[in-house]
Amino acid sequence: MKIYLALTIASLKMYFRNKQALFWALFFPLLIMIIFGIMNFDRYNSPNVGIYDAADNQASQALIQALQGNSDQKLLSVTVDTLEEIHHELEFGSSRGSIEIPANYGVPGEFAEIKVTYDERFQQERAVISTILGQVTDAVFKEVNQVPDEYRVENAIGITEAVITGQGQGFKAWLIPGIAAMAIMQTGLFTVVFTLVRFKSQGVLRRLKATPIGASHFLAGQLTTKAIVVVLQTYVLVIVGAIVLGVSVGNGRLGAWFDLTILALLGGALFIAIGLAVSGWAKNEETAAPVANIISMPMMFLSGVFFPLSVMPDWLTQWSQFLPLTYLADGMRAITVEGAAISTLGSELLGLGIWIVISFVIATKMFRWE
Amino acid sequence: MTTATDPVIVAKDIRKKYEDITAVNGISFEVRRGEVFGMLGPNGAGKTTTVEILEGMRDADSGDAIINGINVKNDPTAVKAIIGVQLQQNAFFDKLKLSEIVDLYAKLYLAKVDPVEILARVGLDNRKNAQYAELSGGQKQRLSIAVALVNDPVVLFLDEPTTGLDPQARRQLWALVRKIQKSGATIMLTTHYMEEAEELCDRIAVVENGEIIALDTPDALIDQLLETGFKPEKRVREATLDDVFLNLTGHDLRD
Repeated sequence: MKIYLALTIASLKMYFRNKQALFWALFFPLLIMIIFGIMNFDRYNSPNVGIYDAADNQASQALIQALQGNSDQKLLSVTVDTLEEIHHELEFGSSRGSIEIPANYGVPGEFAEIKVTYDERFQQERAVISTILGQVTDAVFKEVNQVPDEYRVENAIGITEAVITGQGQGFKAWLIPGIAAMAIMQTGLFTVVFTLVRFKSQGVLRRLKATPIGASHFLAGQLTTKAIVVVLQTYVLVIVGAIVLGVSVGNGRLGAWFDLTILALLGGALFIAIGLAVSGWAKNEETAAPVANIISMPMMFLSGVFFPLSVMPDWLTQWSQFLPLTYLADGMRAITVEGAAISTLGSELLGLGIWIVISFVIATKMFRWE
Repeated sequence: MTTATDPVIVAKDIRKKYEDITAVNGISFEVRRGEVFGMLGPNGAGKTTTVEILEGMRDADSGDAIINGINVKNDPTAVKAIIGVQLQQNAFFDKLKLSEIVDLYAKLYLAKVDPVEILARVGLDNRKNAQYAELSGGQKQRLSIAVALVNDPVVLFLDEPTTGLDPQARRQLWALVRKIQKSGATIMLTTHYMEEAEELCDRIAVVENGEIIALDTPDALIDQLLETGFKPEKRVREATLDDVFLNLTGHDLRD
């Protein structure tokens, strides 16, 4: 225990004296966060809309297609989901309208009542969505009236509108947990890879092997250090980000900080394990750096850190949703943006858990002292 | 039972192969308590492998290495706890001050020492707040000896301690080795400098191709050679070029 403590304290000292590591752990993510936060991408995006399609027939699919526009002119960013999910997204997420297509939509002779709900805080988006929905349904209506008589319906489509006051805080709030998750990945992966590979190639690890302490002591000290760093880093990024960008964390729920700590530790463990696997394999820094980059770069852009997965094509998201960083970013976002409790994040925790197990198995197979 | 007169290092027919290269081919010797024992030989002769087997850093294919009555292969941790090790390629944590490095290593042995006092023994107490990377080659070697002393070792292993050092630093290190010997430790060192062996070692083993080809005191080995009628090509002069260099540049350490 005393040995473990001595090693942990020593490696903490080494970490905090390493100005470069601190730059990458804190300053760099904060910089990205603030730059992207100030840019306010909300304004330029086509509004996000959630659609619940109870009809799920040819007509309703044609309607959804029409609302999205075509490649020449993108109209709305549409996500089709359950009723519960689209309302949740509208209230807490980045969705600006929820559209419910009734089960009788497109059924000949029936009057279909489409229900739209807006977030009253976003009047500009409301106007855009309302206009597009009006135009599209008008066109559909006209088309319907050109079909043979037996399919003809008078006043086939009606639209009712409702308004809620959402609690979502837009792109800025959305951005912070993603960047914090990315920073956990960078710290876990790169600091582990670079310190261990350097210690290995310089012979520091060999010298430790000549002492009576076991390998596990040294590794435990290293892991503890990185865990402490990862948690502190998450606090700093989320707090400074929230202050600078003016958003609240976890809807003011105090337990959010506890949940965030747990997730940061899980994410830290995951990426540290991946780092151990890489440093076990690599002989020196020159071979370690590209591998660490090959692992982290795609995740940075495919895991919904800078922009939501919904803007990516389906063929990509059906894979990227299983990336380790996606689970971590989604989980942290649910806690900070939506105020969710960690106990509700079953799929994220499961995904992280599976990745942790896989990574540690690979790490123990790969790790070498010399 | 170990007594003061028992040999402190016993190597019995140690063998080690790396794939198809035989590094150590049946080496046996004993080192007495308080002795400075040198292992000489060209690069690749098997010196380092033998020493690393004695240190518990490497497993032998066969044979026994016994330090202070403990068989290394039975309890390498117990052996590591009572020896001090200076490896051929030593490196220590950067970003730590020298005093912190010594303190950390002392804690790894659960030893209570004053880091500054240990540094003073190797003449580095004035650099206690420096970091490892700031040290010169000779200072790095002295630090690694300081670190090897934290557990007050029964046996100190020095693997080519003066390779790459300038003559001043080398002589300083020799003085240090003699000082450590006086304090009662047994020292086993490897070197490929003959004058270093002659200067420091009570007995030397000459190793070639993984085998000991000669083992005796330096004087005895020289006498044996002269008995064969050997004559050096040049007349031995009273001073060496080393002496000339030191006389010109001074004995003071340059760091």
